[in-house]
Amino acid sequence: MPDLSFLSLSPPLLLLMASLFLRRPGCRPGHLPALAEAVMLASLGLALAALAQLMLGGPRLVGLGQALSLRLDAISVTMGLLVSFVGWIVVRFSRRYMDGEAREGAFHGLTLAAIASVLVLVQAGSLPVLVLGFAATGLVLRQLLLFYPDRPEAQRAAAKFTRVWVAGDLAVAMAAALLWAGFGTADIGMVLAAAQADALPLAAHAAVVLLVLAAVLKTAAFPLHGWLTEVMEAPTPVSALLHAGIINSGGVLLITLAGLVQQSAGAMAALALIGGLTALFGALVMLTQSAVKTAFAWSTVAQMGFMLLQCGLGLWALALLHIVAHSLYKAHAFLSAGGAVQVVNAIRKPGPVAVPGFGAVARSFGLALVLYAAVATGFSLVMGPKSAQAIALGAMLIFGVSYLIAQGLADAAPGALTRRTVQASLGAALAYFGFQVVAQAVWGQALPAAPVPGPLEWALIVLAVLSFGLVAVAQALFPLWAHHPSTAGLRVHLANGLYLNAVFDRLSGGFRLTSKS
Amino acid sequence: MFLKPLQIPAAKASHFLRAAEAAARAIPPAFPLEATIAVNPFLGQTTEDLAQTAARLGRVAGTALTPPRSRIAAQIAAGEVNDDDLAAALIACTSPLKPQDLALLKARIATEAPAPVALPTVAELAAGASDTDWPAIMARSFGLWAAGHFDRGQALWTPRPGQGAYAAWREWATHDLTPEIAGLTGFCAHVATAPDTAERAVLRAVDRLGLTVEAAETAFHRLLIDLGGWSQHARWMLWQAELAGESDSALTDLLAIRLVWDEALLAHVPQVAGDWQAVVAAHAAPVSASADQVVDAILQEAAERGYQRRLARVLAGPAQRSGRAAMQAAFCIDVRSEVMRRALEAQDGGIETLGFAGFFGLPLAHRAQGTDEVQAHLPALLQPALVASSHGDASAEETLRIGARAARAWGRFRQAAVSSFAFVEAAGPAYGAKLVRDALALGARPLPQGPLPQIEGGLTAAQKVQTAAAVLRAMSLTTNHARLVLLIGHGAQMTNNPHESAYHCGACCGQTGEVSARVLAALLNDAETRAGLAAHGLHLPQDTLFVAGLHNTVTDAVTLYPDTPAPAHAEDLARAGAWLRAAGQQARAERALRLPGAAGETLARRAQDWAEPRPEWGLAGCGAFIAAPRKATAGRDLQGRAFLHSYDWQADQGFATLELILTAPVVVASWISLQYYGSSVAPAVFGGGNKLIHNVVGGIGVVEGNGGLLRTGLPWQTVHDGTKPAHEALRLSVMIEAPTEAIAAVLRKHDAVRALFDNGWLHLFALEEGQIKARYRPGLIWQPTSPAHPAA
Repeated sequence: MPDLSFLSLSPPLLLLMASLFLRRPGCRPGHLPALAEAVMLASLGLALAALAQLMLGGPRLVGLGQALSLRLDAISVTMGLLVSFVGWIVVRFSRRYMDGEAREGAFHGLTLAAIASVLVLVQAGSLPVLVLGFAATGLVLRQLLLFYPDRPEAQRAAAKFTRVWVAGDLAVAMAAALLWAGFGTADIGMVLAAAQADALPLAAHAAVVLLVLAAVLKTAAFPLHGWLTEVMEAPTPVSALLHAGIINSGGVLLITLAGLVQQSAGAMAALALIGGLTALFGALVMLTQSAVKTAFAWSTVAQMGFMLLQCGLGLWALALLHIVAHSLYKAHAFLSAGGAVQVVNAIRKPGPVAVPGFGAVARSFGLALVLYAAVATGFSLVMGPKSAQAIALGAMLIFGVSYLIAQGLADAAPGALTRRTVQASLGAALAYFGFQVVAQAVWGQALPAAPVPGPLEWALIVLAVLSFGLVAVAQALFPLWAHHPSTAGLRVHLANGLYLNAVFDRLSGGFRLTSKS
Repeated sequence: MFLKPLQIPAAKASHFLRAAEAAARAIPPAFPLEATIAVNPFLGQTTEDLAQTAARLGRVAGTALTPPRSRIAAQIAAGEVNDDDLAAALIACTSPLKPQDLALLKARIATEAPAPVALPTVAELAAGASDTDWPAIMARSFGLWAAGHFDRGQALWTPRPGQGAYAAWREWATHDLTPEIAGLTGFCAHVATAPDTAERAVLRAVDRLGLTVEAAETAFHRLLIDLGGWSQHARWMLWQAELAGESDSALTDLLAIRLVWDEALLAHVPQVAGDWQAVVAAHAAPVSASADQVVDAILQEAAERGYQRRLARVLAGPAQRSGRAAMQAAFCIDVRSEVMRRALEAQDGGIETLGFAGFFGLPLAHRAQGTDEVQAHLPALLQPALVASSHGDASAEETLRIGARAARAWGRFRQAAVSSFAFVEAAGPAYGAKLVRDALALGARPLPQGPLPQIEGGLTAAQKVQTAAAVLRAMSLTTNHARLVLLIGHGAQMTNNPHESAYHCGACCGQTGEVSARVLAALLNDAETRAGLAAHGLHLPQDTLFVAGLHNTVTDAVTLYPDTPAPAHAEDLARAGAWLRAAGQQARAERALRLPGAAGETLARRAQDWAEPRPEWGLAGCGAFIAAPRKATAGRDLQGRAFLHSYDWQADQGFATLELILTAPVVVASWISLQYYGSSVAPAVFGGGNKLIHNVVGGIGVVEGNGGLLRTGLPWQTVHDGTKPAHEALRLSVMIEAPTEAIAAVLRKHDAVRALFDNGWLHLFALEEGQIKARYRPGLIWQPTSPAHPAA
């Protein structure tokens, strides 16, 4: 009898449920969708039980021998809880939403299979399981993206997704092979332990490069982000599952192997650079998108970039916090996207927005920095000193908060509004630093601490803070320049995502006629 | 300036511009989703009949306008349509292409008509010749521009406001590199050197594309159809401008944009020039229906005659009632009220119901709490004359607005570039709780309602009396008032549904009927109004109390608004509440049978479920419009398929109310019926697409999937339950209890309304004593119907 964790029971349970839909793939498959929700709830229960198991028994490896093992640790249980929870929400949503679809049963089966694959992925204890988890997730997601196989746009999106995902799979597989060969073990824990022992062998260096490449592809980072911004061709629950579950796989990969990745300063710098660039790029493009789901997709590109930046800075626990927070937010955003008509309508109702001038923006940044100093000092006194990276990250986030304050400081804004936005800003800052403390407490033990910054790290930190600061100032002054004729061209290029997708289409034949089978 | 003189002589140029205008008028307006109403998709074709329109739209949109013949074959097999219906439809057809006799007609049913194929555009020809999907590339590039240009607040960074569509697009397209990356080299330069006005661009394109005057109209129409809902949105802007006595050029601009594209593609793929000239020649040929289109139109008419025959059987003569009713309840004419009215009347013999358009004749615009914006609450054909405001005192209003503005600032914090990261880290975890709340429907919003709206500036006593008298006469509510008269508007409660306003009251311009009902009830209870009505010959009993209500058409719950204090009526109100609750239960049980997976007790849940694609059926199934005293239809099961308008011609002096009915509610009902018709038979062109992949764009509409063309009309889920259509595609049968001469006299005065009947977009019957007496035939002819075949 193999040693098992409660969480390791989830994937087989879900696959069993999924297989029941094989016999009822069509319209209105009786009570099976209700049963599917019950099974998802059971899976969530298993994740909670695994949490108890972890707290009582501590982290360990479970499963069928060294090559096919699963981890029971803070990270896998966190992700297991997240994926099961979002999975339950999505399956419950789909019960009504998909009612009457010609391939209703098939949809539920595929959704359950996708959740099962991601659950395997997030608790992979060995390299082969990791590779299998990625491959299975990609296969199932492709089927979901092709849920309406006759739509040429769906065919294009699925083709694009498959190319990028499979390239990522190859990178993971090659990295796994190199690690197995280099360290003589397929066990992730033993690989990590060996990586700490002494300098990385060449094969491991190559593996880290491949891992970074895989993470960049799978988180839809610049410049191959195009697959993520075009997959609204599948029903809304797929988008929710993709943006709140599957897209995290790249981050989980890095966080799981954090001890190894952090050994390579070059890899960390690459992550920080690509991540920071993607974050700013995605966030700017998002500003120009008028279709709500498309804007959400660009937002995901940006948020995943930010998560990579956190990884690159060695703030692993914060990256995991970002994954959790973003997943919950984005799942809700997609599932409630039908309300966008009312949301947009409500924006116009209270009259014109008060535009902050230069003075107000300067005051807001000053105020935000004071706020930051106060809050950060407070937390430091309680929790001990912070790393340079964490302080820098806090500054970047506080630039964002300054935007909220600036809106309230606009000359035309009434005093009551100013009070409300300052209160909200304070609340946001406290919540942010509070969650940070929690994240460090919960996951900090299991993850490496941020490296002591050398010249390269300092350069990256300064670059990141400056670029985020610059964009933050531009954003606060936004109404003053957004409609200036000189920026019209910039807006067009950004709305098109700087054409990277079009170039990818051109190179991959995405502009060709598709067969309307 | 060295403007190159146009190659086209002025006289010819004006022909082309007239063709562009005609093509623009052929496009129906699509109202933005925040307040959408049903529009007749054939609004531009009402002067042609179904077969001719099928020929036209077959050419420009590649769509059939009738259900597949297998449907009528099934109806014949089921006995719903018989030989009499087919024969009568055949006889009524005036086309020389019609089958010689019934046997030949029936023989045609077995084979489906060939699916029409639209004449290709240059883009389609170029795609075939160069293996590059130009239509898709253009839809993507154009759709991205249009989404930004028409955005009403989704994106934080929208294009510079204040530019016309053509100028804005030129600014966009001279920068957008997508077409060039796709291979259309030099497109930016082509746009940069394009003429500076839309009209000049149209004329240059006409020249370069070799379009002839004869070909222009359907060629232009073809291109506007190619832009999907975007051209319908632009047509709506023209509609709104004209309602306000102005004009708008966005639709011509879109045509110019589309022509500039084809110009570039023809130059890019010159080998299609020959094929394109053949297409131009085909456009130049007059539009005429094929024999198959004539047959399909006859079969459609036969299906409608079958429905009319079945309906006539239900309308078997009036019920008798006498004495003062214990309670009267006026509902909107909306077909969903029919079920509720029947259920309410079943509660007690003393209950009488009436039907009237849900805006109750008040030409209102409404200023809701917390905003200065006004929202029209009347049919889209009319211009508001009064503003009702729900603003409370200044401090309450201020608090509300500060709250809304703080929420908006938080929303911008969530959306903006750098702050979005801070937002996710600070607020993201809270969304876990929101997910649970929404998944379990714990936070569903009820239908919005505010304080009693007041007419801004107030009304003089004379205005009050005049308005009240006009409304009461229009409602045929002039005598025999009960102690309690309910005025019940309607609205549909739902969650997370972009098409919510389409389920609200169409007569209130896609809003709920709450405001109109409450304003009218207050007006009719007003002491000054009551004092003056007698002078208008209207004698309301002292003890008559008007109370407004709102019928939630998803849950069949009715909320009453006892805005006027009336302690003496406490008992009446309590009793009314009990009746309404019981009626709601009965109506739910009846409606649940039609909704997949529903039971009476679970309907309320559909209103709160954020995943529900079919909260209710809306007006699906609508088939008839009956203007008659309620006694003509009381007690008959009309299955929620009939608009019921109360009308007593004997009390109608000079037939002014008849004229009102035929020119307003009948036209609105025709828009609704034909929208359902168009979305059912031509879903690719006039349907809203698949709800499951809808992507709300700009706050105004939806696109499918990633982007591209705006989808207007009713989504597939609204007209189909997954296994079978939820709407039987029928043109509306209008039945009016009035003398035929009086009806004809009104039609003689209103050409646009008459065209709807003469061209078969509506059927018209005259009733007498609740039974069909005559059928209208084109040319103001009345054909008496025999008792054996009441609808023949």
